Amino acid sequence: MAMNEDKERFEHPVYSVLEQVPGGGVGLTTVDRLLTWGVTNALWLFPMATSCCGIEFMATACSRFDLDRIGTIARGSPRQCDVMVVAGTITVKMAPRVKRLWDEMPEPKWVIAMGSCAISGDFYRDIYSVVPGVDTFLPVDVYVPGCPPNPEQLLMGLHRLKEKIERRRRGEWVERDPAPVAAGLRVPFPRIGDPDREPDMDAEQLAAAMAIGKHNG
Amino acid sequence: MAEDVPLIPREDVESYARARLAEGYDYFVYCAAAHYPASDTGVDRVLVEYRVRRLPKDMLAFRVEVPTGETTPSLVGVWAGADWQEREQYDLVGVVFAGHPDLRRIMLPEDWEGHPLRRDYAIETRHPPWR
Repeated sequence: MAMNEDKERFEHPVYSVLEQVPGGGVGLTTVDRLLTWGVTNALWLFPMATSCCGIEFMATACSRFDLDRIGTIARGSPRQCDVMVVAGTITVKMAPRVKRLWDEMPEPKWVIAMGSCAISGDFYRDIYSVVPGVDTFLPVDVYVPGCPPNPEQLLMGLHRLKEKIERRRRGEWVERDPAPVAAGLRVPFPRIGDPDREPDMDAEQLAAAMAIGKHNG
Repeated sequence: MAEDVPLIPREDVESYARARLAEGYDYFVYCAAAHYPASDTGVDRVLVEYRVRRLPKDMLAFRVEVPTGETTPSLVGVWAGADWQEREQYDLVGVVFAGHPDLRRIMLPEDWEGHPLRRDYAIETRHPPWR
């Protein structure tokens, strides 16, 4: 799955207009600052909540922590949202749906991977139907670790995303966030039929599987 | 098994089910299945367990033994609620229910290979996140 990295380079049409006006370049910085201020204070969230992280997400949106006070509103439609918060385990069957919802969101857009399952799959990582981290198919901007993260942690992730957007507009933050160390710890396991797979491996796995759950029924 | 669950021969299961329905067991609770490899009891087989209720209190369970490669009659004609339950067992354990009106995968993607809850399914098989 190839990600389109150029999608990050979204330009508001006002820039091209200003560049054509004589002397308009003077206003560019001010307009830029104004637009960035507007974007960072109206980050509408798309809650891609599939499991328990979604409950913490709801807690963050409720009165005690109150996402609205930082201009962040959770909306039910991807077409109205700027930030997709992937909160929960994404299965192999769910992944194409998530990708499709992501594609339906208008530019500019960002992804927050909330919780260990969205970051790396966590202990569901080796299950046959679980995607090992959403960064395998989405360009994740901010990782919010935790199982599940506190509302405070999600708020901090949002503030980090704001900071990132501001500094990126100023050209101070050009590199992508690296994936967490844990995501790279496991070596890719050769699939059945892979030439890298050792010949004894099939028999060993089969024997191990047969030894599980001996039953007299 | 703490509970004495009768093992019904496959050819009799449909008439057995109809008799239970006539007795008033009209609420289908679940259908579950487990794979037992040949190294366990000598036969590579799947045990399918059905559980039905006669509201408000009575509960009844029965099992069907399906050797690998064979089919078992579908009970959708008796209890319509068995439809998705049998599809799930087909999807995950690979039991083929003969006469099922719509025997497709229900949980995994349609192009999935194998039935992951069988013992001979390689657990650590890596799948690409994108199928």
